Amino acid sequence: MTLAIRQVTKSFGQHRVLDALDLEVQPGELLCLLGRNGAGKTTLLKIIAGLLKPESGNIWLDGHQVDYAEPHARHDIGLVMHQPFLYEHLTGIENLRFYARIYQVSDDIAALQKALAQVGMLRFAGKPVRSYSRGMKQRLTIARALLHSPRLLLLDEPYTGLDLQGSLVFNQLMLEQKQQGHIVIMTTHDLSHALPISSRFAFLARGRVAEDLPNRDLSLGFLETWLTEKLTKPTSDPQKVAV
Amino acid sequence: MKDWLHSVRTLVWKDLLQEWRSKDMLTAMFAFAILTLFIFNYAIELSPVNRAEIASGIIWVVIVFAGTLGLNRSFTAEQDQGCFDALVMAVPDVSAIYFGKMLTNWLVMLFVSVLILPIYSLLYNQSLFNIGFILVLVLGAWCYSAAGTLIAGMTVQTRMRDLLLPILLFPILMPVNMAVVKAAGGILAGAPLVDVQAWLVLLAAYGIIITTVSIMVFEYVIRE
Repeated sequence: MTLAIRQVTKSFGQHRVLDALDLEVQPGELLCLLGRNGAGKTTLLKIIAGLLKPESGNIWLDGHQVDYAEPHARHDIGLVMHQPFLYEHLTGIENLRFYARIYQVSDDIAALQKALAQVGMLRFAGKPVRSYSRGMKQRLTIARALLHSPRLLLLDEPYTGLDLQGSLVFNQLMLEQKQQGHIVIMTTHDLSHALPISSRFAFLARGRVAEDLPNRDLSLGFLETWLTEKLTKPTSDPQKVAV
Repeated sequence: MKDWLHSVRTLVWKDLLQEWRSKDMLTAMFAFAILTLFIFNYAIELSPVNRAEIASGIIWVVIVFAGTLGLNRSFTAEQDQGCFDALVMAVPDVSAIYFGKMLTNWLVMLFVSVLILPIYSLLYNQSLFNIGFILVLVLGAWCYSAAGTLIAGMTVQTRMRDLLLPILLFPILMPVNMAVVKAAGGILAGAPLVDVQAWLVLLAAYGIIITTVSIMVFEYVIRE
């Protein structure tokens, strides 16, 4: 599966967030999106997921333009956003059962327990989500996003709330996704965790990919210096001033 | 179609389970309904002569106002936890979300109605267990849920949802209110079903039209 984003433009009112953005991601790649707050990272993820419509441009998967009206096109995508997409009064396993049924994948107890065990949440399976900590919700959210084995994973700040062990578990899951040839696109500010699993780092600025840096044994020090330089560089973007 | 029905069934299961656990809608609706019934009991003196005509109005007003409280809460879980986005990506057709919510709202309204009818009968010493009367309430609740779920889907994304829902919903419900009160009042007064048939047809037609239109437009209502 190859993902291609072609000339995608999106504005909110007078503020142009994405400006004819082009991007391509190959099978088995994990692309880490970086940029200032408001650079359009989340907007881009939502457009790829089909939750926002771009003013122009389109998304291509395997050489075909994505038709979001088709359920199978949407089922190819797994999504983790700021909000957990979980029902507070249902237990962890009931949440997964609900999503498994909606996606029409196996909802038998063994499959759901396996999904929970993958993120270290099996012993909390029967507890209502409202009693979970932020990190536990994030683990369950990741299990939910992987439940229907999507070929394209879109993750917005996936390390939020995760402790060290949770972050390592998450990284292991992402490495497995890469090995299966799936595409992962994530936004994060946690470079130390993202570095070992990322194939590329793309820096968004002025609504476009300003720089695309392949991860060829990059050191954390180099990456932090590179990113700090980008973030502190004064922008001449008039739209940013307007914000 | 099979996938669509499967999604609707799953959504209703989830909504009812969640409602059973949280009792958000049920508690608010039932408490409001009981309080309103008590207020009417003290405010309106019903004589055996006018009792049949007024009962249908009182019951329907109580159900509609209590239902509005429930509708306001019906999309809260989706809105608060961002589940709308997850549902939109998962269901075969977005209209399944509407239909599932509508069925849940309808079932909750009927459940509250089942609870308040005996209480009304006790307070006013008037039996309401009339099959025709219950049929009218079932039809009326369906029309109310069909229109209310669509409007609630619109207003849940606004800051003034509590205010906007009744303002937008009640004018749309005028034909339903009229038909329910006239048909139920006639039935309780002892009129044969054929005399209120026109009102029943109006309710059924309204329900079919508003449900069909809502299924068609719901995707545009909740998207961006």
